[in-house]
Amino acid sequence: MEDKKRLTRRDFLKVAAVGTAGLAGACSQIPVTGKDKEKIVVGMSRPLSGPLAVIGDSAFRPIYETWVPEVNAEGGIYVEEYGRKLPIELIVYDDKSDVGTMTRLTEKLIVEDKVDFLWPASGTSFVFAQAPIANKYGYVLITAEGGATSIKDMLPSLPFVFVTLSFSDWYQLPVLAELLGEKGAKTAYIVYIADLHGIEYSGVAGIEFPKQGIDIIGVKSVPPDIKDLSQIIKEAKASNADVFCCFAYPDQVMPATGTSMELGFNPKAWVGGPCVNFGFYHTTFGPAAEGVLGFTSFSPKQSAAAKTLADKLYTGKPEEAQDWWGHPLYWAGLEIWKQAIEKAGTLDQAKIRDIIATEKFQTVLGETWFDNGLLAKECHTGEIGQWQNGVYEVVGPKNMATADTVYPKPEWPTGGG
Amino acid sequence: MLVTFLDIVIAGLLLGGLYALIAMGLSLQYGVARVLNISHGEFIMLGALTTWAFYTAFDINPLAALAICGPLAFILGFIIHRTLYKRLLNSSGSLALFEGNSMLASFGLMFIVQNLALMFWGPEIRGYSYLAFPVDLAGAVFGANRLVTLGFAILIGLTFYFFLTRTRIGKAIRAAAQDPAAAGIMGVDINNVLAICFGLGAAMAAIAGMLISMSYPVHTGMGLEYTIIAIIVVVLGGLGSIPGSFIGGLLLGLIGSIVTYFEPGLALAAYYVIFILLLLVKPTGLMGKS
Repeated sequence: MEDKKRLTRRDFLKVAAVGTAGLAGACSQIPVTGKDKEKIVVGMSRPLSGPLAVIGDSAFRPIYETWVPEVNAEGGIYVEEYGRKLPIELIVYDDKSDVGTMTRLTEKLIVEDKVDFLWPASGTSFVFAQAPIANKYGYVLITAEGGATSIKDMLPSLPFVFVTLSFSDWYQLPVLAELLGEKGAKTAYIVYIADLHGIEYSGVAGIEFPKQGIDIIGVKSVPPDIKDLSQIIKEAKASNADVFCCFAYPDQVMPATGTSMELGFNPKAWVGGPCVNFGFYHTTFGPAAEGVLGFTSFSPKQSAAAKTLADKLYTGKPEEAQDWWGHPLYWAGLEIWKQAIEKAGTLDQAKIRDIIATEKFQTVLGETWFDNGLLAKECHTGEIGQWQNGVYEVVGPKNMATADTVYPKPEWPTGGG
Repeated sequence: MLVTFLDIVIAGLLLGGLYALIAMGLSLQYGVARVLNISHGEFIMLGALTTWAFYTAFDINPLAALAICGPLAFILGFIIHRTLYKRLLNSSGSLALFEGNSMLASFGLMFIVQNLALMFWGPEIRGYSYLAFPVDLAGAVFGANRLVTLGFAILIGLTFYFFLTRTRIGKAIRAAAQDPAAAGIMGVDINNVLAICFGLGAAMAAIAGMLISMSYPVHTGMGLEYTIIAIIVVVLGGLGSIPGSFIGGLLLGLIGSIVTYFEPGLALAAYYVIFILLLLVKPTGLMGKS
């Protein structure tokens, strides 16, 4: 009996010791598991295939593929709540350039994968569809590719959505109209793609051009799958307009350029985009790109920060990868996101949202802030660009220009490239 | 007025010539080899991007790339038929079953070819300027490259027609198109003929791709829309009829051009309307056998 009691006591002590240690360990672990965050998981639905892959792969993709490794190389983003830096991990799904698939993938990222943050899909109509979803779940969404003329009026009801890219009436076309008006342009012919992007741009041009004394003497919408643009270019040529605008995607702007050359249509100003702003436009058309106008937001000549960014993104890479319109704005958007998380000291979306909405940040653009959900136009470092001597110069607005607008544009080079 | 008319008709023929070439290739594959080749457009894409790569990297004239792309695509198509589709043909119980199976297989082939190309070339739009200057035809102006494209399309179409009607292997192909079983009994090496047809179809697609790259920007995702046009033209022209595909292609180009003159957005819709009307009125196609 005695033996048994002693054994029991010893056993009890053993068990108690192990148990207490275990419990202590467990107790000490409970708060740790709550705070134990290894990484910040960011989810994206992107057009890795399909017609928009051309845009996605040249625009936001090179930005996040450069920015994320750079931040992670420094250990990640410091979050006070966890007392340390957390690296970023990306989950990227392919939406095949389909809006419906993108909306499903966005919900999946939020509801199923429970990502910490959502990064943007690609394209104007995609932003339009994704913004309400992000807002519904209280996820901050800083957009990349895509204009926001239509969504602009809805932004007050979408407090979690922030638009980085410049677009038609923010503040590209007013600047374009002023530049062309000053140079003496009187008439314009507009071709636009029959989707939200084209409708927004042609609509805004219809307001801004006449203000500067430019009459719109022809407007034609084209479907995304159009092959032969020759009849439209012929009509534009017959109209004798000073300005030709092609508000469409590369699939239309590239053949519109080729067809203009083939048919000898050389208006005083040839404007096209998004497309002219990409390096692949220049590599395709070479000297024929001279004088063609497009949209832009920076030039490495403007500041040391702009030059550093351009060197980081483009040095040692093929020219095709360049995008003079979106890149600095997307980069600034990511910088703002990082700084807001650091300031908030937490991954709480609502707190981060409040900081992004109200505070100012130092980015590649200089002092940067959002103005009612849009990247303030005072932060833009350019709106209109033009190919001059193989360089995509900022020509408008004038206070940021790196070169004067060449008007009328030179003749297309003759013969084969 | 006359100039406008010329403009529309010639623009239609320029596009139609390309359609004709694409459709003749598919017609061989579907009409004779009985493979509704959904990956047809991918061979167009391969031809186009190879031409672009040769031109930009090695400065090889796009028209000279014809001599490289055509034979390469033929060999590729021939091998694919001898390995993939011949197995399917042997394992499928009936011709109807084979048509279904081979179509599914060609879907797979489409994804494989497209993704390999995507890995190799990426999704960027590619293009180059070649013969991009105006030519005046009785007051109507056209790009020189497009006229060259039409010339080539007609030349290749005619060559091919004579090949089918005047040569022994052409005769075997026509026999196989009419009745593969009977042709086999009469001593035609049917497996060989079908593989040749599939290879020739791939070669025509690649040549069409080469011509397309001279006038239009190209990218790895461009194939499917051309496949759809080719299917419409093949049905329009009549299954298995090469002249039917040629005429159907030109006709579709003309219709597209006329509709585009009035409303560009309706061109594709017009193609489908014609497709539906044809199925209702003459399901065998313009030159198909009832």
